[in-house]
Parts: sequence; structure tokens; C-alpha cells
Amino acid sequence: MAEEENSLPILKVDNLTKTFGGLVAVDELSFSVPQGIIYGLIGPNGAGKTTVFNMITRFYKPDSGKVLFQSDQGEVDLLDYRVHEIIDLGVARTFQNIELFNNMTVIENLMAGGHSQLKTNFFQEIFRLPGFKAKEKETRQQALEILDFLGLAGKENQPASSQPYGVQKLLELGRILMAEPEIILLDEPAAGMNDSETNRLAKLLQLIKDEFDITIFLVEHDMSLVMDICQQITAINFGKKICQGSPAEIQASEAVQEAYLGRKEN
Amino acid sequence: MLDSLTDSHPYTKYIVGTLIFMLMILIDLQLNIFASRTINLFIRVVYFSIMALGFNMLLGFAGQISLGHAAYMGLGAYLTAYFSNFMGWNFLLILLLSGLIPMVLGIALGLIALRMERLYLAIATLGLGVTGQMIFQEWRAFTRGFSGIRLDRPEIFGFAFNNSRHFLLLATAILLLVIILTYNFSRSRTGRALSAMRDSEYASQSLGVSLFKYKLLAFAASSFYVGIAGSLYAYAERFVHPSTWGVELSLDMLAMVVIGGLASIGGSIVGAAFLVLVPRITAATPLLAEITNMNYILTGLAMILVIKYLPLGIYNTIDVKLIQPYLIGRSSKEFRYQDLEKQEEG
Repeated sequence: MAEEENSLPILKVDNLTKTFGGLVAVDELSFSVPQGIIYGLIGPNGAGKTTVFNMITRFYKPDSGKVLFQSDQGEVDLLDYRVHEIIDLGVARTFQNIELFNNMTVIENLMAGGHSQLKTNFFQEIFRLPGFKAKEKETRQQALEILDFLGLAGKENQPASSQPYGVQKLLELGRILMAEPEIILLDEPAAGMNDSETNRLAKLLQLIKDEFDITIFLVEHDMSLVMDICQQITAINFGKKICQGSPAEIQASEAVQEAYLGRKEN
Repeated sequence: MLDSLTDSHPYTKYIVGTLIFMLMILIDLQLNIFASRTINLFIRVVYFSIMALGFNMLLGFAGQISLGHAAYMGLGAYLTAYFSNFMGWNFLLILLLSGLIPMVLGIALGLIALRMERLYLAIATLGLGVTGQMIFQEWRAFTRGFSGIRLDRPEIFGFAFNNSRHFLLLATAILLLVIILTYNFSRSRTGRALSAMRDSEYASQSLGVSLFKYKLLAFAASSFYVGIAGSLYAYAERFVHPSTWGVELSLDMLAMVVIGGLASIGGSIVGAAFLVLVPRITAATPLLAEITNMNYILTGLAMILVIKYLPLGIYNTIDVKLIQPYLIGRSSKEFRYQDLEKQEEG
């Protein structure tokens, strides 16, 4: 526990607020995600978890607050960047409802994931100028390696839409690995998976954290997964932080039990 | 998507196909087997193919729609007529300018697309297209209005392409170049970004695809293609008239791409050939020829049938079921069938 608190925060959410009309979805929320761990954000349905993700990844504009990110160029406020620019800083995400590129093949999905890493320009591409081939090949090779890592080797030329649900989830994960991010935000990675798939996912996430040296920040409903793999957790309800700490501390917290199960009648 | 298995044979099928066609025309140059109206038909297929490729880049690859593209093609044709009659510039320069000027104006369509989607985008671009046609009718200094404007066949280094067969060879060579560039484009970072944007705007943005950049790029590139096609139209028909550039032509582009196959180079060409040949065949068939607008009815019917029974388009279906298994061999044939079936179920 102690060593994790010592490690530098890679992502610091500071007084973030978002309202939709009269509804306060996220209310002055602050927390920080230490580097190199698996961090969980939990809360009952409608607590504002995905809204937090959407603000960090710039799909929503917060009403107030800051999202500080420790990038290569030092600390930056993600809110100063546009939605397609944050990948260059090293922030990648997946979506609650899988957003694969359905009309493309498996490998094309992954190669599209390498968009921010692959640096070829339009004229190099249409005239196949020198340098194009090597870079394209490198990206393809990287995609094949990631497929292999995910246990999906041999599927590269199949359409993404024809893959079973669990594989599509993995593909979405593989696609953001192509961008070589510093932190990945996973929006319900285990949603719709059965127990054995969830177990495999838990091992895979540990492996991604260690081998790729990536901080993982996830929103999840599957409590056994969260308690199993997250080193630190923030619990929110109605857009407010109700508890923060290790899985054991979260499980012991009365506020969390209350949020999920309701208040005890006396 | 369907092309990705032929990586070991990059664009051989297009080059071989085009070269066989050019050889055929070269032989015909000596023997005169084809009637000159057949040659004219081929020329139409060629410039409509370039047009369909441009439209497919927009609809098939980038998932954007425009019903105003006929005006951009018209602009290309009028620019060609104007430059060739009044400036007397070199053919290649005129061809390039007839693509580049519509390309710059195509960015306007892209700006609309940033604010509107699907049906609304179709309506807005339709309005722009109709406006374009009105301008062609009224701006007599540039277009000569309803009198139309005449021009000569092009000349390169003193060689005039007055013989239709020579012009067909020239146009086919340009088509081949366009095919190769389109192929290269579609199998690259930019091409993948466009397809990614088509399939999921959210995911593509989060992976670094700027909608601003790539929507503008899609509209600019496709306007460039239809501008070039318009230029070849002007040279081929030697007459440009405002009635050509109406909504019907924009809808023809849509029909070509849907019937031939979305996001497919071969599909664009098959679709163009289909729409050129259908009116000819109906006109030559005794009973059908008597019904007015029979070709529109048949085109509409073909679109419905293709969407219902061959959702991949005519070319893509043939490609997946016949060409690809032949190229790759038997090993991967089986899973390709399965993939297709799974996709059709889903």
C-alpha cells in the first residue's frame, strides 16, 4: 500500500464538475491515479463514471476543473487539448459499447490503432515514396505481435464484425496498445463476459501493466474483477467521491455499502 | 477490407485488366472490329469510372454523402472547355487544373459535413448541387448558358487525339493511374483513417483521427476525381451543356457505387459500366425501348435487388466468391465463405 502512494500520480483529476441541464453528473470530483498500477473507478449505475472518462478523453467539456496528466513534456492539462490530440500525449481509451471498425479486417483495426504512431504523409502514401513500405511493414508487424499477445493469431484477415463478443473486446484493447500509450482508460472491459473470459482478462490486464509498462484506469461493474486486480479504487455516487483506498478499505466502507445496497433500517 | 488478402498480389488484377483492355483497343486500331459507337461507349465507361471512384472514395471509404457532386464534375468540364478554347493551354495542365479547382471548392462541402450528417448532409449538398447547375445556366460569359460550349479533342506534343480509339487509350491510361493512386491511398494510414472515421467517429477520434482534417480531405479528394472525370467528359463529348450536371448525375454516381460495390475500386468500374450499358441495352431491345425512362426504372430496380441480395455489390460479391479464392488458393477459401455468411447474418 505504502509504495503505491509514493509513486507519482500520472493522472490528476482536480475539482471536475459537469452538469447536464439541471442534473449534476459529476460534482467537484478530485482523485489521482498513481503511475504503473491498475486503478479502479466504481459506483452504482448513473454515478457518473463514464462521464468522468468522457471528460478526461475530451468527448465532454467539463464545466470546471482540471485534468492534469504527466506526459513526456511534463505536466499538461488535458483540457487544453482536442479529442484527437490526447492520444499523442499517451492517453488511450476503450468504449463501453464496443466501437470497433466493423467493416475492416482484424489487422486493419489494429493498424488504424497505430494512426498516431505511423508517420507517413499523403504524398508518400499515394506515390509509394521511399520510407513508406518500411513504416507500413513495421506497423503490420507490430499489429501481428499484439494479436499474438492477445491469443488471436491467425484471425488477422477476418472481418472484425464477424468476431465473437469476447474477441471484439480484446481487439479494442489491442487497438489502443498499437498507439503505445502511457495510460489506458478501459470503460467496463469485462461487461458481457462470462467468468472464464473475465479471469483471462484479469491475467491479461496484469500482463499489459507489467510488460507494456502501462498504467490502467478502469471503470467496472464486475466487483470480483475490480477487487482482484485493482490496487487502488475510488468509489463515486451521484458524481461525488464517497470513498478511496485499497480494495479491502473499499469493501469495509459503510458509504460504499450504502451506495450499492441502501441504508440499513434501524 | 476484401482486398487485404491479396497483399502478395498488389494491384496486379487492375493493371493486367487495364493492359488487356488497352491491347484490345490497340489491335482494334488496326482491324477496326468495333463500331465507333462501341468505342464511344467504352470512353463513357472510362470517364464515369473515374467519377465513380471519386464518389466511392467519399461514400465507400469515408462514409460521407454528397448529392452535389454533379456540379463539381460540371465545373471540371466547363473549366476544361474554357481553358482549351480561350487559353489554349496544354492538355495535362488543363486536366490538372480541372481537378484542382473543384478540389478547392470541395472543401466547402467538407465544412458542411463537419456540421451535418447523413440525410441532412445529403439535403444540404443537394442544394449546393442545384445551385451549381443554376450558375452553369446563367453565367453565360463562362458557360455560354443553354447554347452549350464546344471544344476540340486534346493534343499532346503536337499529337491530336482526334481518333476516338486514340482518345480511349489516353483516357484508359489516366484511369489506370487513378486506380493505382486510389489503391495506394486506400491501403495506407490516410485510407485507414477515412474508413475508421466511417465505422466509428468516436473510436477514430480517440485514436488520433481529426475529423476536421479527414472529412475535408475526403471531400477534396473526391471533388478532384470528379473534376478530372468532368474534364475527360468535355474532351470526349466535345460539347458541354448545363442540363448534364443535374441531380440525375449525382444520383447516377450513387447508383454506380452501390450497384458495383462500396469501398471497392473494381466495384466503381463495374458500377460505371452497368450504368452506361443499361440505357444502351434498353434502347436496343424492341419492347423495352418503347417505355419512356425505362433505364431509370431498371437502374432503380437494380439498386433494390443489389441491396437486397448482394449487399456487398456486384463486383465485391464476385471478388469474394470467385477471384479471391482463385488468387489465394484453396486453403483460405473455406474461412472466407464463413466470414461472408457470418457477416450477412449480422
